[in-house]
Amino acid sequence: MGRHIVQRLLLSVPVLFGVLLIGFLLLQVVPTDPAVVLAGPLATADIVEAIRQDLGLNEPLWYQFALYIGRVLQGDLGKSIISNLGVAEELGRTLGPTLELLVACLVWAIPLGIAMGTLAAVARGRIADRIIMAFSVAGVSIPVFFLGLVLIWYVGYKLQLLPFTGRGGPLWSWEGIQHLVLPALTLGGVFVGPIARMTRTTVLEVLSADFVRTARAKGLSEPRVVVRHALRNALIPIVTLIGLQIGFLLGGAVVTETMFSWPGVGRLAVGAILSRDFPVAQGAIIVLALAFLLINLAVDVLYAFLDPRVQRR
Amino acid sequence: MTDVAVPSPAVAAMATRRSVAYRLLREPTAFVSTLFLVLVVVAAVLAPWIAPYDPYFTDQAKALRPPFEDPSYLLGTDAQGRDMLSRLLYGTRLTLLMGLVALVTGGGLGALVGILAAYYRCVDGLLMRTMDVLLSFPAILFGLAIAAITGPGLTPIVIALAIATVPLLARIARSTALVVMQQDYIDAARSVGLGDAAIIRRYLMPNCLSSIFVFMTLRFGQIILIGAALSFLGLGAQPPTAELGTMAANGRDFLFFAPHIATVPSLSIFAIVLAFNVLGDALRDVLDPRLRQ
Repeated sequence: MGRHIVQRLLLSVPVLFGVLLIGFLLLQVVPTDPAVVLAGPLATADIVEAIRQDLGLNEPLWYQFALYIGRVLQGDLGKSIISNLGVAEELGRTLGPTLELLVACLVWAIPLGIAMGTLAAVARGRIADRIIMAFSVAGVSIPVFFLGLVLIWYVGYKLQLLPFTGRGGPLWSWEGIQHLVLPALTLGGVFVGPIARMTRTTVLEVLSADFVRTARAKGLSEPRVVVRHALRNALIPIVTLIGLQIGFLLGGAVVTETMFSWPGVGRLAVGAILSRDFPVAQGAIIVLALAFLLINLAVDVLYAFLDPRVQRR
Repeated sequence: MTDVAVPSPAVAAMATRRSVAYRLLREPTAFVSTLFLVLVVVAAVLAPWIAPYDPYFTDQAKALRPPFEDPSYLLGTDAQGRDMLSRLLYGTRLTLLMGLVALVTGGGLGALVGILAAYYRCVDGLLMRTMDVLLSFPAILFGLAIAAITGPGLTPIVIALAIATVPLLARIARSTALVVMQQDYIDAARSVGLGDAAIIRRYLMPNCLSSIFVFMTLRFGQIILIGAALSFLGLGAQPPTAELGTMAANGRDFLFFAPHIATVPSLSIFAIVLAFNVLGDALRDVLDPRLRQ
């Protein structure tokens, strides 16, 4: 298992390098001179030149890249052109809310998806299976913004049941929870379908395995066979498959945050891109890419941990 | 056995394709999806001829009409008084085109990479590790990064979707090509002295096409969905361009008193992606006998 994890870590080095390179190039190909942008419209030529010196903009490109990596590793991602706050500081404030949203989505979507998928597999070919699978394929196909719009319009506006803009406060307050419900429903709503589909396929495969037949032959009750024997063995591939869907989830989170004015990384990134605030956009994209890498790595390690076949290698 | 004409791989592939199509269309859901998609594509292609109005013609006097009220504006009008039905037709056209261009360029490039990796084993490792790196990023991140560089627009979205498609198709094409490479006719072609380029073009590529095609169909719905999400964020086609995601984003401002402006384009994206996914599922069931009951 140690070797597997080391291999996986080594593979993320070029990826990490790629992320930083893209982040760096982002500021290079921008049509305007970063020094001019940072100096502001009223700056004199001397000030611009001083900033150029300061940022190392007169040095060769590879040297600038090295300087840039050094700065990023020290947590210095530059300053926002618009708010003049440190990018790292702005990003720091958005991580919590994004994490909150992701967790709030996963806590209901994963159990529901697994339950639906298992039920469909057990009832294979019958009406329950068909209904669940119809729901799942709809869930896979619905644009996340459509679900959000419907929830905002119906639950938020028509029924006036729940708030739909911004974050209400800390998670432990009543306000905070109320504000979290609709975004979490939106994001989770498009995630239940994929999970249910993957679970159904995996459980179906396991249900035809020899040890399930043995369990049945022993006279175990059907619920016991399904939950204790089939589902337990199906969980390993399900965990991996859920991990593979993280990119999809991250994309959904960006849209959900923007729709509900949820103060997370995704909304920050989109806002920065639209207002051409390059340092913030770059920082947010790097953070999103890193988060994605880390989650993938965690899923891989978890997989190695869960699956004895990988463990032995 | 010797006097039986051996069908050329291309003919054999065609015969299987025909029976696949037949089995596919016997499934009611697949049949309905296919019919719907054909209608959508025809309507999109014919948009300039069948749209009742110019999708960009504004008329404030007719703004915000609800759907199904005035027969001359079947789907109502938007905040600028533009006809929703005409915009829907043009929007579908642009959205489908966006997905198609991304799918064909990204998928084509990926398929080429995969086939080359399978044929020239010396570059296999390098090519596929590069694909792994690309695969490490979700499409939405490519979209954000490219839009950050170039500014919002249709082209960055198409490029992002294409890049995200390359590694997926490379994997599929490689594994298919590896199977094809073990066939006798590849050895035969080599033994009669055909060069690498000829073997790849005449034997390897045609025999990988059907799996590549199937996978592309499966992928198309996802591409449309991601493209629409990026447009909805304001990173894609800019208003007043009629594109489904952009139209849905514009409708957001009028959600509470004219919900149809946002829901009509959103619903049609939903329907198109749903049809592609249902069709993809049916196709997989037909092609993968293991999953058939």
